[in-house]
Amino acid sequence: MSSLVTVDIADYRVSADPDVMLVTYALGSCIGVMIHDPVRRAAGMIHYMLPLSETSPEKAKARPAMFADAGIPLLFHSMYALGCDKKNMIVKVAGGGTLHDESGRFAIGQRNYTVLRKMFWKTGVIITAEDVGGSKSRTVRLAVATGRCTVTSSGQEVAL
Amino acid sequence: MISAAEVAVRIKRLPIFPAAPARLAALLADGKSGVDEFEKVIKPDPGLTANLLRLANSAYLGLTRRVASAREAITILGLKRVYDVATMSSMQRFLPKRLPGYELSSEGYWQHCVAVAAMAENLARVDGRYPPALAFTAGLMHDIGKLILGEFLALHAVPILENLHRDGATLIGAEREILGVDHTEVGAELAAGWKLPEAVVSAIRWHHDPNQVPAGVDGTCVDLVHVADALAHSFGFGADVGELQRPLDPQAFDRLKVASTAVEQMVAGSLAQIEGLTSLAGSGDRGGKS
Repeated sequence: MSSLVTVDIADYRVSADPDVMLVTYALGSCIGVMIHDPVRRAAGMIHYMLPLSETSPEKAKARPAMFADAGIPLLFHSMYALGCDKKNMIVKVAGGGTLHDESGRFAIGQRNYTVLRKMFWKTGVIITAEDVGGSKSRTVRLAVATGRCTVTSSGQEVAL
Repeated sequence: MISAAEVAVRIKRLPIFPAAPARLAALLADGKSGVDEFEKVIKPDPGLTANLLRLANSAYLGLTRRVASAREAITILGLKRVYDVATMSSMQRFLPKRLPGYELSSEGYWQHCVAVAAMAENLARVDGRYPPALAFTAGLMHDIGKLILGEFLALHAVPILENLHRDGATLIGAEREILGVDHTEVGAELAAGWKLPEAVVSAIRWHHDPNQVPAGVDGTCVDLVHVADALAHSFGFGADVGELQRPLDPQAFDRLKVASTAVEQMVAGSLAQIEGLTSLAGSGDRGGKS
């Protein structure tokens, strides 16, 4: 029996409890980054909303996980604090969806993803699997014990 | 297809919308009224008083001492916020447990309404041409038509709504196809019957078609609600069966005096407000369906 730990919007969670299943709901243009370390048997997840904290520095102070550039480093450091090793960490990404917006006025999903790729490129993080873009809302689950990661969208669950 | 008569029967079956919000709106607009006048409207309404106290004592405000009276709550929350709570509290009386046809929980619906209300209000502040209080109300009520159509959809439409998941259909298109009416038409009818302000009725009616606003009607509130609605869906506030399958109208966005960068700032600034107001419904759940 696993216990569900919800990662709210603009928040992140890490856990080394093998009974825990991390879950985040309704990723639209927001992005979820899921990390699992099979050696340490620990997992972490962030649900960020916006790409850059320069948009609103005082909000970034109160809620760093609102932003990719402030929140993702926090997630990684929290994993290291649990004893995880970067070389063992499996990183997956989901979300970054978009409205039917041909004009691209609100390309927030794409911007969220672009900033993430840049950050990972600079720090040498490899994305093992991803499900990004499209007009989909996604719910993501990650089991601490096994690292099994699933994405549910439109009532269908697939393993990531 | 459902007939106008069937819709009218449902509308009639609903209780009348409480008078308190309209009275408070008038007091807000006259600019001379204060705590005394507000207290007179609020005190006779126990549900509203309870909601005000709940908000005043919620973690959202983080006060250290306990607020015990309507008067104290009005002083602490301020007249504008009291008006918001009165509108929300009035609307909560109409929420069913679930909106079956939209695969949506009451919490999910509520969270979406609150998110659109907060973002329409904050967009209005950035835009600077429209009263934020009215934008809040219009945002809060924009989907009231779903309260009536939900039941019909649940009866008639399961297979077609499932198709939404596969092709690029929009929810509103599905409503029109299945029922012959959509939630904007029904919602506007309901709001007009409740004698809500004209701008609120228009925002309900045209929030999916902001370019169809008839001549002579101020479309600013419609544009604010349209954009706030798109943003709320984009950020996952109250995911319903239509999810992201809705067009954002670039013209509606361009008519607003709001830069793209200001949108992100506005969203960042709205989150705490949305979370605080959502918790007024009792449950702080995100209310997604999966």
